[in-house]
Amino acid sequence: MKKVLVIDDNPTIVELIKYAVNLQGAYQVVVAYDGVQGLERVYAEQPDCVIIDVKMPRMDGYQLVRCLRGDARTANTPLIILSAMTREEDQMTGLLSGVDEYLTKPFKPSALNAAIERVLHLTPADRQRRMDYLVQTQAERE
Amino acid sequence: MVRGLQSLRRLHILVVENDPNACGRIQQALGSGFIVQNAQSLTEAKLHLEKQIPDVLICEVLLGQESGLDLCRFIRTTSHSPLCHIPIMLLTSLTTLQDKVAGFDAGADDYVVKPFDARHLMARIRLLSRIKRLEKQNDE
Repeated sequence: MKKVLVIDDNPTIVELIKYAVNLQGAYQVVVAYDGVQGLERVYAEQPDCVIIDVKMPRMDGYQLVRCLRGDARTANTPLIILSAMTREEDQMTGLLSGVDEYLTKPFKPSALNAAIERVLHLTPADRQRRMDYLVQTQAERE
Repeated sequence: MVRGLQSLRRLHILVVENDPNACGRIQQALGSGFIVQNAQSLTEAKLHLEKQIPDVLICEVLLGQESGLDLCRFIRTTSHSPLCHIPIMLLTSLTTLQDKVAGFDAGADDYVVKPFDARHLMARIRLLSRIKRLEKQNDE
């Protein structure tokens, strides 16, 4: 069974995400309530996918994503940001930090499950291509 | 269609690293798309920073008797505005969770563990530079 780690400092949101992910019934869900605890659990649990909030104590979601992408052990772990921050700049910061998908709250369970399915199929080559594309397109904006 | 990344603007990078081999590997990885300067100590790094603000600062944490984290804290607490906004990437052989948390607490924006993949490093440096520009635009 695939393992999904949910990292969010709001216990109610964590329960909602657990419920949504469990609708699919195909995942084991583990949780953490701040960025540092989330990082700890990534290394301890080695999840197949991580769902990350942005605004969290101790380490925010963007820092957590960069931290995971900067370590070969987790450079290709599927990562989804699920955040109440809906501005285009917020989404861009998430994508530039290395997240695979950026979803906003409130969320539809079907959209979250579809995103999990998509990121589980990404390969290291897919991520490198996405990174190169972002580098090129963002440089052209400057 | 994505053009070659070599055609992008050359970014100015200050690498604070006291191991000549590691410094050579970083320079080799970055290639001609970057203008790279090297400082081997905190004093040398501060002298470089007084002369020119780099687009990105790459810093090892372990610098002999010194710590790259002290440079992060110095930069983030300085009142000299352009300096305190420099994108800082820690590129280090320290791998524990406590090391990573300490790095972000000291003010680093990114944390990359050695050994690194050259293509990945190049892209991350450019993306980090862009993230900090976006943050600055949002603050203004």
